[in-house]
Amino acid sequence: MKFILWKPILKLVLREFFIAVFLLLGVSIVIFSILHLAPGDPLHIFINIQTQNPEDVALLKRELGLDRAIPIQYLSWLNKLLHGNFGNSFRTGKPVFGELIKVGVNTLMLTIGSMIVTLLIAIPIAVISSLRRHPVLSWGLTLFAYILSALPVFYLGYIVIYIFTKKFNLFPFLPSGAVSSSKFNLIYFFLPIMVLGVGNGSISEIVRHLKMQLERVLSEDYIKAAKAKGASIWRHSFKEGILIPVTTMVAAKIPFILGGAVVVEQVFNWPGMGRLAWQAALDRDYPVIMGITLFAAVFVHVGRLTQTLVFAFVNPQTGEKGEGD
Amino acid sequence: MSEEILKVEDLRTYFYSYTKEAFIRSVDSVSFSIRKGEVLGIVGESGCGKSVAAQSILGLITDGPGIISGNIFLTRNDKTVNLLDGLSDYASIRTKRKAILEISKDISGWLKRSESLMKGIRGKVISMIFQNPKSALNPFITVGDQISESIMLHKGIQAKKEAMAIASKWLERVQIDSPSMRLYDYPHGLSGGMCQRVMIAMALSSEPSLLIADEPTTGLDVTIQTKIVELLKKLREELALTILLITHDMNVIMQLADRIAVMYGGRIVEYGLKKEIMDSNSFIRHPYTIALLNSIPTIGEIKAKERLRAIKGDVPDTITLYRGCRFYERCTLKNDRIKKRCKEAEPEMIEIGTGHYMRCWLAE
Repeated sequence: MKFILWKPILKLVLREFFIAVFLLLGVSIVIFSILHLAPGDPLHIFINIQTQNPEDVALLKRELGLDRAIPIQYLSWLNKLLHGNFGNSFRTGKPVFGELIKVGVNTLMLTIGSMIVTLLIAIPIAVISSLRRHPVLSWGLTLFAYILSALPVFYLGYIVIYIFTKKFNLFPFLPSGAVSSSKFNLIYFFLPIMVLGVGNGSISEIVRHLKMQLERVLSEDYIKAAKAKGASIWRHSFKEGILIPVTTMVAAKIPFILGGAVVVEQVFNWPGMGRLAWQAALDRDYPVIMGITLFAAVFVHVGRLTQTLVFAFVNPQTGEKGEGD
Repeated sequence: MSEEILKVEDLRTYFYSYTKEAFIRSVDSVSFSIRKGEVLGIVGESGCGKSVAAQSILGLITDGPGIISGNIFLTRNDKTVNLLDGLSDYASIRTKRKAILEISKDISGWLKRSESLMKGIRGKVISMIFQNPKSALNPFITVGDQISESIMLHKGIQAKKEAMAIASKWLERVQIDSPSMRLYDYPHGLSGGMCQRVMIAMALSSEPSLLIADEPTTGLDVTIQTKIVELLKKLREELALTILLITHDMNVIMQLADRIAVMYGGRIVEYGLKKEIMDSNSFIRHPYTIALLNSIPTIGEIKAKERLRAIKGDVPDTITLYRGCRFYERCTLKNDRIKKRCKEAEPEMIEIGTGHYMRCWLAE
C-alpha cells in the first residue's frame, strides 16, 4: 500500500517557484549589466561604425532601442518579457523565443543523453569499488574514471571525429544545414552525446561522491541487519546510497554540462543553444544572449527542483511518505 | 537431553591492525554449544569479543583484513552443516614468532562461498536482533514493509497483503498497540523500545530455530530494558525459542539465561548452568564471575549510598600475547600459592562439576 501526502510536496514546489522568480530576476540583472559593461557594440554586424556617417548610426541605435539609458533598456526588456516577448534577434530579426525553442530541444537531448552516458559509466565504477572485494579492479576503474575526466571535451571531440568519421567512417559527420533537411536523424546524436558524456569532467567527481556515500551507507547498522535477515543489501541501500547521491550530483553538474555543450556544439556543428550562444556572444546580440541565459537558468533550477522533489519522496522525515518497492 | 542446534568449536576471529602491525584477537578459541529450547547467555565487559563472536556465526564480519577459523556446526532436521566449511581452502598459513597465523588469501572467494553457505540460513534458521534498534531498522522503509520482506523471503508467501497481515499479527505478539496502523510508520516515528519490538517481530516472523540477541537492551532506557527482557521471556515460553543472548548486563542474564558463558579478553573463562554459576553456595567460581556479580549493587547498598564495586582496571587489549592468565592484573583472588603459576601459564578449561567448566588455577 502506498500513500503520499501531497500537501507538503505542493508547499515545496511553490517555495521553489517563489525562489525561481527572484533567482531569474537576479540572473537577468547580472547578465544585462555584464553585457553592457563588456566592450563591443552590436552595431558592428550591420555597419562599420568608424566609416559610417553619424546620423545613420544614431538612427540604427534608435531603431534597436540602444540609445536609451541602460536601466531603461533593462526595464523595457523586462516589460516585454513579462508579456511573453523575448524580443527579436539583432542579427536575424526573428523572435528570440521561437529560435530558442528550436535549438533548446537539441541541446536538451544532448545534455540529457550525455548525462545518462556519464551515469552509465560512473555508477558501475562506484558500486564495484565501494564493495572493496576486488581491490585491483576497483583501483584500475577509478584511475580510468579520472583519466576520462581529465580529457578536455574539445580535444576529445576532434580526436573522436578524426577516428570515427575520417579514419573508419563509422558515423556520419553532421553537415551544415542538415538540421532542416531530411538527412538529420538519430545517428548524428551518437558521437556528440558520447563525447560530452565522457568529457564533461564530472565522471570522477560522481564516482568519488557516490563511492563515499555508498561506503558510508553499506557500513550502517541497518545494512548489517538487512544482511542478517537474508535480504538484499542493495535493496536496502538503494535510496540513501545511490538515489540521493546520484540526484545530488546530477543537479550539481547541470551547469557544467551546459558549459560543455557550448564547446561540443561548436566542435560537432551541432545546432543547439550552445552554438547559438557562441554566435550571439560574438555578435553582441543582446536579446538572444539574455534569452539563452534565462533558459539555462531555468534548466539549472528545474534540476534543483527535481532534486528537492526526489529528496522529499525518498526521505520520510522531510516530505512524508512516498514509499515504493 | 535435547539435541544441540549450534555447536561452535575453536572459533577465532582476529582483526589485523596496520598501525600496530599485530592481530587483535577479538575472539580467541571460543567453543560453546546451544541445545534446542535453551537460552545461552554470553556475558562479559565491553570489548571482550561477545558481539564479534555472534556476528562471526552469521558471517557478518566482512570488512578489514583478519582471520576467521574454527568450526560452526548448525544442526537442522537431523542434518548438520559447518558454516565455516572449507574455509581453510581459502587461507594460507604463515607463522610468526612460533605463533601460527592463518592469513586469508582469497577473501572475495571465501566471502562468495560464505554467502552461498549462509543462503537460506540468515534470517530463516538463525535470526538476529541488534543493539541500538533505532539504527538497525532501515529509516527509508516502513515497518510493515520491513517485516513483510522477511516473511516473504523466508515463509514462501508471495502475496504482499497476506505478508502484511502476518506482520500485523507479529506486531501484536510483541505488544505493540494498534499494529495495523503501525505497519505504515517509518522507524523515525517510533521510540527506541518500539523499534526493538519491531526488530524482535521481524526476527521471529520467519520462525527461526535460533535467535541471536546481540545486546538487545543496550541503548534503551532502563524501564524499557525491563520490558524488553519481560517480552523476550514471555515469547520464549510461548514459542519455545532457542536464544543466544549476548549482554554485559548481569541482570538480563539472570532473568533469561539457562546456561552462561563468561567471556574475558576473547576467551570463555567460565561455562556452565546458570544455577551452578549464580548459586551463592557454589564453593568455586571464576574470580572474574565473582567480580561481575559483586559489581551489581543490592537495594540495601543503594539505600546506604555505598560506592559501586566496579572491577578495577580495564579489559586487557587483545593484541598482546599473554603467557599467563588474562585476568591476572585485575584478579583479587590470586594468592601466593598460585601467583607465579597464574603469571607464567594460562590455565586450561577444567571441569569442576557436571558441565561446569572454568579457566582458573584455583580450580585445581
